[in-house]
Amino acid sequence: MIDQILKRLLISIPVLFGVLLLGFGLLILVPGDPAIVMAGPTATPEVVAAIREEMGLDDPVLVQFGKYLGRVLQGDLGRSLISNKTVVSELAAAIGPTAELMFACLIWSVPLGIGLGTLAAVWRGSILDRAIMAISVAGVSLPIFFICLMMIQFLGVQWRLLPFIGRGGPLWTIDGLRHIALPALSLGAIFIGPVARITRSSVLEVLKLDHVRTARAKGLSERRVILGHGLRNALIPVVTLIGLQVGYLLGGAVVTESIFSFPGIGRLAVGAILSSDFPLAQGTILILAVGFILINMIVDILYVLLDPRVQA
Amino acid sequence: MRRLLTSTAIVLTAGLAQAAEITILREVDSNNYDPHKTTSRAASEVLFMMGDTLVSLAPDMQTIDTGVAESWTMSEDGTIYTFKLREDVQFCDGKKMTAEDVVYSVNRWIDPETKSPVAWRAGEVESVTAIDDYTVEYKLTAPFSELLYQLTQSFGTIIDKDNVEALGEDFGITGFNGTGPFCWAEWTPRDKMVITKHEAYAWGAGFHVNTGPASMDSITWQIVPEENTRTVGVITGQTQVTQYVPYIALEQLKASPGVEVVQSDLAFWTYYMGFKIDKETVSDPAVRRAVNLAVDQEAMSEDLFFGAVKPAYSYVSQEALDWNVGLDDKLLTYDPAKANQILDEAGWVMGDDGVRSKDGVRLAPVAYVFAGSTWAKISESVQAYLREIGVDMQIQAFDATVAWGKLATQEFDMYGMSFPYVSSGDALNLYFRSQNAPSPNRMNWIDDKTDALLLAGATATTDTDRAQAYGEVLELVHDAAVWLPLYHEPMVIAQSTELETVVPHNIYGAGLYKGLDLKFKE
Repeated sequence: MIDQILKRLLISIPVLFGVLLLGFGLLILVPGDPAIVMAGPTATPEVVAAIREEMGLDDPVLVQFGKYLGRVLQGDLGRSLISNKTVVSELAAAIGPTAELMFACLIWSVPLGIGLGTLAAVWRGSILDRAIMAISVAGVSLPIFFICLMMIQFLGVQWRLLPFIGRGGPLWTIDGLRHIALPALSLGAIFIGPVARITRSSVLEVLKLDHVRTARAKGLSERRVILGHGLRNALIPVVTLIGLQVGYLLGGAVVTESIFSFPGIGRLAVGAILSSDFPLAQGTILILAVGFILINMIVDILYVLLDPRVQA
Repeated sequence: MRRLLTSTAIVLTAGLAQAAEITILREVDSNNYDPHKTTSRAASEVLFMMGDTLVSLAPDMQTIDTGVAESWTMSEDGTIYTFKLREDVQFCDGKKMTAEDVVYSVNRWIDPETKSPVAWRAGEVESVTAIDDYTVEYKLTAPFSELLYQLTQSFGTIIDKDNVEALGEDFGITGFNGTGPFCWAEWTPRDKMVITKHEAYAWGAGFHVNTGPASMDSITWQIVPEENTRTVGVITGQTQVTQYVPYIALEQLKASPGVEVVQSDLAFWTYYMGFKIDKETVSDPAVRRAVNLAVDQEAMSEDLFFGAVKPAYSYVSQEALDWNVGLDDKLLTYDPAKANQILDEAGWVMGDDGVRSKDGVRLAPVAYVFAGSTWAKISESVQAYLREIGVDMQIQAFDATVAWGKLATQEFDMYGMSFPYVSSGDALNLYFRSQNAPSPNRMNWIDDKTDALLLAGATATTDTDRAQAYGEVLELVHDAAVWLPLYHEPMVIAQSTELETVVPHNIYGAGLYKGLDLKFKE
């Protein structure tokens, strides 16, 4: 197990280097001058030139990248060009809310997706099966921004059940829970569909296997057969999908956080990119990549726990 | 027992009493809250509340009132201003504000090391001296008639030297010790800024209903980039105030119970398209005049902005200080027939494709505008009007982060811009000085006479002389048709009916100004 983790970590190093290079390259290629952004619209060219020089923006690109890489290796991601706060502190402030949002999203959508998928498999071909599959198709097809706006329209505006602006505090507070509810519901809505679909097909496959037939022959109740012998063995592809989807959720969080003004990594990344805040944009890209790699690593570990044959 | 019951009742009552807290929604955050290092409106909105200036500006945008200075005099030659400071002003940390703080603030503002993009607004300073603890002498090398107006801006905020030195690069980022009605509490960039009541504040200008302390215990400036979210935020009571609502939602907001929409009569934020006058497509004044005559600003105001903005024919609001009323009848208004006639007479021949040309130059100016819905609809509307007179305007839209850089080049023929100002002189000195080309004088308006008049206006020692000089500049640039004015944007604020009605201010687009009159109804 430890060997696998170490191997994974080693593989991540070139991936992270690639991310750093790509993030730096993309932002260099994008037109825009941070010095002008900092100086403001009425600044004279002399003031802009002075700021450019001070920020090192006149250095050759390779020199800029080399300096950046050197700083990153020392744990220094630089300072935001806009707020002048350290990128690390900005990221640290935003990671918590995003982690909370992920947790709040997964805590309801994964069990519901698995539950619905299992129900659809057990009652294959029934109206319930078709209804669940229709819901899952809708979840997969609807764009996240549309789901967010619908949530605001109905739960926020018409029925006035939940707030939809900002973060009310940590997740464990009443205000925090109320504020995270709509973003988490919106984000979770796109998660249920794929989980339900893969669970359904996986459970259907497993229910055809010999050990399930044996369990039934032994006279076990259908509930025990499905939950104890069917579902557990059907979970491996579901876990794989969840791992992949959580990565995509980070992308969905960018939109969700922007619409709900939720101060997480996604919103930070959008703000940084739109304002040509190079160091912060690079930092957010890096942290999102690290998040993706970590999630994949956790998924690999879960495989082993669920099915020891994978290790072999 | 009775005493115990009484004490319990007092404690319970105190516990039940709710703090007066409001949330104000806005679209974008500032890059920092250092008054000398940012020109953003978002910074001014908060700095006006956290800090004070020597003098303040009344909502009529003309009357200079007291700030931390209770009185002032100007020498006969207009080069020395002597400010008598109030003796009861103190910073949020409890330290008394003295003349030394004013001296430090101005010196830091104009210090080249500070690299302030707005240092010019302080005038040509020779020295700023503390005569005694509460008297400041502000000496200029030449008179600056705009000085008092410039000193009302947030750039002239009085800062605390100890605070600046203690925070270093983090000044205005992790803290700010000001003398305003509110104090810095917490800033999360791009998310929210929280400011709390300055309990000792009692030196607000007389035009405020409340001169201090503020009625609100705390204000949260929450960033909500999405305009629909801001709109429904007000409707559902999740916020109490915002000045950033889309025009399309104004009627809906007005019809919503619990929401009041207030609008100022004045409009000191002007949208225009400028001409780079040395480009061959628009170097001919006839073309520029024709373009001005071809666009129907009134229809644009109605169709694009639901009548909420004022159609503009002048380069600054006609209510602005030193506006030349002699120009009122000369302004170019919608007359496409005359526009066509002017172009015909000037030799611009209509081609088979409906586009005019002359001496091999096709009348197809390239216009740089900001990306986004506002400039998209403005520029497309202008484009449609210009097609009617044979001008094929080519629109190129850029994101704001790119646009400022593109607008500092010589690549375009026309450009779209909007700007706030406190007076005619404020706008003219910024945009029409030859030395300010190519940015912010993006027209390349290089004219000795204008420069001489601007200098005369800036150094005038009487209101009449100043108005005369600036009036002549206004006539010069309007005659040359170097801009196509589009509309003046009034300050519109959507607020909860739980609050007393606010008086919208136009200073630098900061509609709530000091925030002193924000108050829940009793």
